[in-house]
Amino acid sequence: FGSTRGMWPGRAGALPAAIGALCRALPPGSRPAPETFRLAKFNRPEAVRAGEAGTDPPDGYCTQIRFVKSVLRYHGYGRPEFYQLPSDGSQGSRELLLAFSWLLNRINLLEQLLTANRVKIGDEASVCTVSRFFCLSSPSHQLDVDVRYLQWLNGRLRFKWRSLHVDRQEQCKLLHKIHSYTSGCHMDQTIGHFSVTETDLIRQPDSYKQLLQLLESETSRLEAFLEWKQLEPVYWHWMVKSRERTLPDEREFCAAVRTITEAVKLKLSDLKYHCAHKKNGMHGSYRLVFKDKRSEPITNVNATEVISKLQMEEATLKRELKRLQEECRHKLDEIAEGLVGVICIPPIKR
Amino acid sequence: MKGKPNCGSISRLVSILSQALEDCAEQKKKLEYNLTLCRALLGDWKVQTPESPKPENSPKGDQESEPSPKELEDLELLNRALEKALRVRKSTPRNPLEALGAAEGKKAAEKKPATSAVRTQQAPLSKESVPKTIKVTSVCKKAASSKKLSAYMLKAPYRTDPVKAPTSQSSRAPKVAGKSSTKGAALQQARKTVLTASVSQQEFCAAAEPSGSPRSPLQQSSSSFGGSASGENSVAVILQGVDPENDCPGSLAKSPVTQSHTAGDIPMGSITARTFTLQEKRSLLKLPLPYRKAYSRNSRLWEKCHLCQSSSATAAARSRFLERMQATFCSSAPAFSPAEIEEEMIVLRDAHSLLSQYMEAETTGHPTWEREYECLLTLEGLQDAASQCLHKLQLLRAAAESQMVVHPADCVHSVEPSAADCAPIRGRRCGDTGVLATPLLFYSSFQELRDMAALKLQVVMLHQQIDIQKVLIAELLPILESWLPRDDSPSHLYRAVYTQLCEGGERFPVLMNDELPD
Repeated sequence: FGSTRGMWPGRAGALPAAIGALCRALPPGSRPAPETFRLAKFNRPEAVRAGEAGTDPPDGYCTQIRFVKSVLRYHGYGRPEFYQLPSDGSQGSRELLLAFSWLLNRINLLEQLLTANRVKIGDEASVCTVSRFFCLSSPSHQLDVDVRYLQWLNGRLRFKWRSLHVDRQEQCKLLHKIHSYTSGCHMDQTIGHFSVTETDLIRQPDSYKQLLQLLESETSRLEAFLEWKQLEPVYWHWMVKSRERTLPDEREFCAAVRTITEAVKLKLSDLKYHCAHKKNGMHGSYRLVFKDKRSEPITNVNATEVISKLQMEEATLKRELKRLQEECRHKLDEIAEGLVGVICIPPIKR
Repeated sequence: MKGKPNCGSISRLVSILSQALEDCAEQKKKLEYNLTLCRALLGDWKVQTPESPKPENSPKGDQESEPSPKELEDLELLNRALEKALRVRKSTPRNPLEALGAAEGKKAAEKKPATSAVRTQQAPLSKESVPKTIKVTSVCKKAASSKKLSAYMLKAPYRTDPVKAPTSQSSRAPKVAGKSSTKGAALQQARKTVLTASVSQQEFCAAAEPSGSPRSPLQQSSSSFGGSASGENSVAVILQGVDPENDCPGSLAKSPVTQSHTAGDIPMGSITARTFTLQEKRSLLKLPLPYRKAYSRNSRLWEKCHLCQSSSATAAARSRFLERMQATFCSSAPAFSPAEIEEEMIVLRDAHSLLSQYMEAETTGHPTWEREYECLLTLEGLQDAASQCLHKLQLLRAAAESQMVVHPADCVHSVEPSAADCAPIRGRRCGDTGVLATPLLFYSSFQELRDMAALKLQVVMLHQQIDIQKVLIAELLPILESWLPRDDSPSHLYRAVYTQLCEGGERFPVLMNDELPD
């Protein structure tokens, strides 16, 4: 960890420009002033209060610090000094700066925020079917519950799904109508027709003034992002320089290296596994476009592909569910044999 | 526990089901909102005028709207102008008064063109807003040459004879013989009589032309109103001149017709206050200019951002920073961060499903030794893969536990972010491929869209069902199994559990007493 002073021929003004671009690329609600960065480097207390970018719970400052800590913990940030910061925000702006920069680097924070906060003007169709895990934490207290309550909950759930299906089908009908009625009107030839939002924009232009503003603000954020990408190296070099101050312990260093190597090995093995078993890779949100003739663009996707993938997945899942149910049947048959004086006749297969 | 089908501690199951129900309710709410909007868009649009914003979705046709005070004012002026015109005309006797028939606009083109022309024209002219008049002017100019009408008689337009709607609006016969009702009815009528009115006005104007002598006084009176059109359109000019807003005939730009269509371009054939549907006006709609500009700038930039690649210098600087940071991390930190644990769990879940599939494929019959050998080798490979997964799982579990130890408060996700932009930070995103892409999903028919939607819903529901099933197995089976020694007929419980576990809650088994009847 020798000194890197003088290695980076800093351009005058490049750093402030980089930091400025970074700030402007962040969402408007959580945007620190560029000056905050400089203050933070010198660990000035007032920089702490200027807020952590990208995270914005509405509650008090204590909650905010706690929230930031939990986010970083979630992503595996391991600097003990950071977690030891007091919750009142009286100190630690440098640690916050480090943490923010780490997050920015590690999870491509800017790109994530830009994509997540994207102004929605199209009819969104999400293709991803990865369902999140339900909260599987052990419950705080035990409940004594009647099994009929379970049955009732289950029945309600099934009913809700059916009603959701009906609504969704109706939505498809209406969407298709709107798409076909407005085909040929959109200035973007690739898309060709209006979305619901755009059609409503024509019908009630006054209700959508905010949309226009959001669109414009997003555009300027994108411009700032492009600037930032140009000037990024300057920022990282500056950050590395600011890291030099504390040199880690030699032993700690070795342990750290070991940890990293192991983690990397595991990751690579996972990668090898992934290479053998290809995973279905359509994620995220798409804009729905009605187009009579088929088209084969690169980043775009056809409904036929989606349908066949979904059909395969549906078949897989149905098989798995059946398998689980069969297992249960076997187990329950065994239990039935243990019941005295009772015979169980399973329901007739449909 | 007695015969009551009590379940014991299954709170995890209950919480999962409740959560699933909440998710469904949320989705439904969003869907309903969207549906309402779609229906509104496909229904009738009422064109908005800047002065008088009308309520949306007013049904076409049979609406009675009160004329606004401004319209009444115009009406008043119009009436006075016509009065004057009448007096002027009366002073120059021409053909005898032809009785004005009862029927109006319907027969306007047929029987007494002139009179009914006047009649029909009166209604719209007297009550209509300006653009109509202007249109009249322009129409008149075109039809100026036709001279088919020889005689006509003006009936006092300001008299409140009930005016029947010229088209199929017969139901609108006004009950009260008051000015307002006429206005109302006529307004109503006006909305429907574009074609008829303009036709009749042509004739009216044409009729106005041959009147040589009254021309000058009319012109005089027109000049008093500041009209500036040619003599052929004298009356029209008067009417036009009366309008306080428009002094020049050609000021189409100021007319509410175009004003009302700031948002979309609508062909000039329609009246201001008419409703229309998306279906009718389809390809004539255009997005407003500011939006178009903003949209194209925006999409250009997204393209640029998507294509923008990090330079190698950047990559090097970034990784150097990460290495430095990593070196300062606590060495006793767990091997996996919670984010990584979640991601790995999804991978493992899919891997498990995949392995099960492969397993099933191998349990089919093995007629030949080749097949048997193949099966053996496959199973060995599967076992290998399975043990790898198990190993990974152990590591993940260890990491999760150490996370719990170090930061217990966090592991139950107690600090729930409310802002939407925290979703990526918390890892609810799935897959980070093409982070800045602008993906479009093309569908080519209504059936495709429907199938896709149905399948999507089905797949998500199946995922949920499987998760629930696993928890059911974990929580319900042990209860049943622990009941075995007892024999106080747990049949209700058995039946309920059987239904949930084996039939997805849809069908019930039949339990029979195993007793031989005497």
